[in-house]
Amino acid sequence: MQELEIVAPRRRRLVLPHGGALGGTLLSLVLLVLFNLVATPHFTSLQTLYVNLTQVTTIVIVAVGMTMVIATGGIDLSVGSLMAISGALAPLIFAGKLLGIGPGPLADGLAFVLPVLVAMGFGCFNGWLVARFRIQPIVATLVLFIAGRGIAQVMTNGNLQAFHNAAFHTLGLGRVLGVPIQVWLMATVVGIATWVIARTLYGRQLLAVGGNEAAARLAGLPVGRIKILVYAVSGLLSGIAGLIVIAINSSSDANLVGLGMELDAIAAVAVGGTALTGGRASIIGTLLGALIIQLLRYTLLSHGIPDAAALVVKAAVILVAVYIQQVRRAP
Amino acid sequence: MNGKRSGWLIAAACLVSLAAPAAQADDLPKLKEKPTYKVGFAQTESNNPWRLAQTQSMKDEAAKRGWQLVYTDANSSAAKQVADVDSMIAQHVDVIFLSPREEKPLIPAVMKAKKAGIPLFLIDRSVDPTLAKAGRDYVSFIGSDFVEEGRRAGEWLVKTTGGTAKIIELQGTSGSSPANDRRKGFMEVISKSPGMQVVASQDGDFTRDKGRQVMETLLQAHPEATAVFAHNDEMALGAITALEAAGRHPGKDITLVSIDGEKDGLQAIIDGKMGATVECNPRFGPGAYQAAADYAAGKKIEPIVVNQDHFYDSSNAAQSLAGSY
Repeated sequence: MQELEIVAPRRRRLVLPHGGALGGTLLSLVLLVLFNLVATPHFTSLQTLYVNLTQVTTIVIVAVGMTMVIATGGIDLSVGSLMAISGALAPLIFAGKLLGIGPGPLADGLAFVLPVLVAMGFGCFNGWLVARFRIQPIVATLVLFIAGRGIAQVMTNGNLQAFHNAAFHTLGLGRVLGVPIQVWLMATVVGIATWVIARTLYGRQLLAVGGNEAAARLAGLPVGRIKILVYAVSGLLSGIAGLIVIAINSSSDANLVGLGMELDAIAAVAVGGTALTGGRASIIGTLLGALIIQLLRYTLLSHGIPDAAALVVKAAVILVAVYIQQVRRAP
Repeated sequence: MNGKRSGWLIAAACLVSLAAPAAQADDLPKLKEKPTYKVGFAQTESNNPWRLAQTQSMKDEAAKRGWQLVYTDANSSAAKQVADVDSMIAQHVDVIFLSPREEKPLIPAVMKAKKAGIPLFLIDRSVDPTLAKAGRDYVSFIGSDFVEEGRRAGEWLVKTTGGTAKIIELQGTSGSSPANDRRKGFMEVISKSPGMQVVASQDGDFTRDKGRQVMETLLQAHPEATAVFAHNDEMALGAITALEAAGRHPGKDITLVSIDGEKDGLQAIIDGKMGATVECNPRFGPGAYQAAADYAAGKKIEPIVVNQDHFYDSSNAAQSLAGSY
């Protein structure tokens, strides 16, 4: 009973970031939406919502994994490259070029499952480097950040693979109950991750490792295993994101799939109020952070601002969002 | 090594050559007649079927002639492409074929090759003519007339829409010659019809993914659009995806015109989703290598060699599908 008393109050503090931080992120998002309602023509339509949600899906899915990795005090730079690997593998599999299983339902099924498992395997490799050899996460995942895209390019000779596949077409453009499948997928991932962090033993272990690794080790937590699993999850989610990107376009380009994704994901986590020092994780914050970045891009584009200028505005708004958080977090 | 110094040298060389434009034709590096050549081809990227077809054509023709080909792919980076040309110079190739990614950033590559005494042909895309001139700094530009491509796309659109349209333009890579020139030709034509109005225009980087995302956004902001002009087929295909996802019916309630004539583009015309596409022939190998051989033989090479391009619409797309890339 004594133990429970100690755990319970700590859990509440660790699970939710300070209300202020989340509030700051939410405030930024609301301001951005208000601006659009006033200034952007035709902003109030369901289709606008779907466009933004489908465009943000891959960032959110990857950023959820990133949030969990960052909660353990780590970082995963390899996510974009793992997306490229998974995106390059799938067309090779369903076209029968890799396994020799001709086009058909079996090949389609394998094309969904295997690339994701491969990405997860690479994620395990990241975790293994971090946990077993105590390599700093930024260096350990840099290995696959560089090599991963190379692997994807070698598999495809760096060439674009265009394809027509009904199953992938459905993943990219299909709708269930009028809502794009990707949005359901994103909601599922966010829901499961929120539940894992808030309600499961593993969630608590994750935060404990990030909060104070030495203490967690002394308390008898399997720190190595916890870390390997979290990188594996990040790899798995990157794999799914890679499949979504190629499914929407019906084409896979190893040079471009997931390019710059690590930075988008980290930005979403930072704007969402998860401290990069570890020990905290706010999945909802990350979702809001990703939405802010996405809506910003949408706003700039629909107002005809060229890409180069848009990048600067994006950076400025990230700064403002983080600043608002800091102000609201201060007592 | 001393990139900075050589940078200054090139800048100085540019200035000198600008100051004395006359009587420089002899500067152009010569090419000895040989039974076989070692040629370099600096490709800009391999992210669309057009590029793949171009590379394949260069490789096939080299194999056919028994020439040795040094091939590099700049992966969409102008900086890497300059470095690629450097490495070709270091490998002492006889001729360099360059598809410059952007008009200005590739000037140093052209100048370095000239300084190293290696004749260089620009294929498909060109460089800024105020900084480097055909016949003086490089032998010749071989490629399509991008302005004319833009004009033809514009003319078709004016005719098909009866001179009234609200157009969304998906531009190619900012600063590249096809993007600049196709836009120029297109605007030239439609500016004569007061009913033709470009309501939005953004960079889609010649890729399907970017083209789709930009189209999704522009369509939300400008649902009144009745036509799309994409600078290449890949972006047009991305736009079709975006339109269908938004519940529009490309080919019926919105007219698409594009440039390139790739296989998926022709298929989209056959499916009734795309209206027309102006061919931009990617099969450079035979013409480019022949130009090099002619140059070695001392024949006069025109500073600009223009490819002949077809025009595809519903009347001929089906017949042309088999031969497309």
